[in-house]
Amino acid sequence: MLIPHGRRLGLRFVEKKENSLIIEMSFNPELEIIPGSGIMANGALTAFMDTALGAAVYDQFDLYRKIVTLDLRMDYFEKPQPFSSVIVKTRCLKITNQVAFVQGDIYDSEDASPIAHGVGVFSHSGVEKTS
Amino acid sequence: MILTFLSKLKARETFEESLDISPYAKMMGFRLRRQDGILTTVMDFHDDLIGSPFPKALHGGTVASLLEMAALMQLTWDRELAHIPKALDVTIDYLRSGKPEDTFARARVFRMGRRFATLHAEAWQSDSEKPIASAMLHFQLVK
Repeated sequence: MLIPHGRRLGLRFVEKKENSLIIEMSFNPELEIIPGSGIMANGALTAFMDTALGAAVYDQFDLYRKIVTLDLRMDYFEKPQPFSSVIVKTRCLKITNQVAFVQGDIYDSEDASPIAHGVGVFSHSGVEKTS
Repeated sequence: MILTFLSKLKARETFEESLDISPYAKMMGFRLRRQDGILTTVMDFHDDLIGSPFPKALHGGTVASLLEMAALMQLTWDRELAHIPKALDVTIDYLRSGKPEDTFARARVFRMGRRFATLHAEAWQSDSEKPIASAMLHFQLVK
């Protein structure tokens, strides 16, 4: 993970499909909101979602594009299981000439229903020349 | 634990305290400040908060996280609660790119019901007139 905050969260690419990515965030005691609880902070889940959705947009282009979050909505269905790692599955819904609409679901185990859902709109643009 | 921490601070008009009682808040560099009766949550800048190395900019997720923390702090400050409120949803609007510097956030309780609360939060950096992000949040107050 090239992004410093993504590295800090311990994110890892798991799988890449045509318009979808799977990314994992391993459990780490530093992500606990209450020490010893084993429950990851909602903020960590939001940052995880933002990173994953941004990566999902980035992945749709062959050439480098600058990706910026315009808005992000998170729904927290339930807390993750204590001490469990989480994965996010993203889906690119639509890309226009300026923006991308993406969504993702966070799971704390393979078979269970999602624990959180995120929807984002991201802008994408070419690199501006600095002269 | 967080509720006890806050209730101990209630009597003080002015303070600035690290939130490092929480591992995640410590990792993020969150501090809680109270001045002139106003509660502000501060995110100390450090390199782990970077989302884009060139040009250096804050990761959007860190700003979202700060807004959520500010809302949670305001909510638990305003009302004696038996439990930490449960976040239901948050919608973040990104208004400006976050510079590699300290970021501040303040939240306002729009409506406090018996079961649910609606809050609005804003984050800014050197110029409080120029917010870098704003958020609407809903919390569930009772189990």
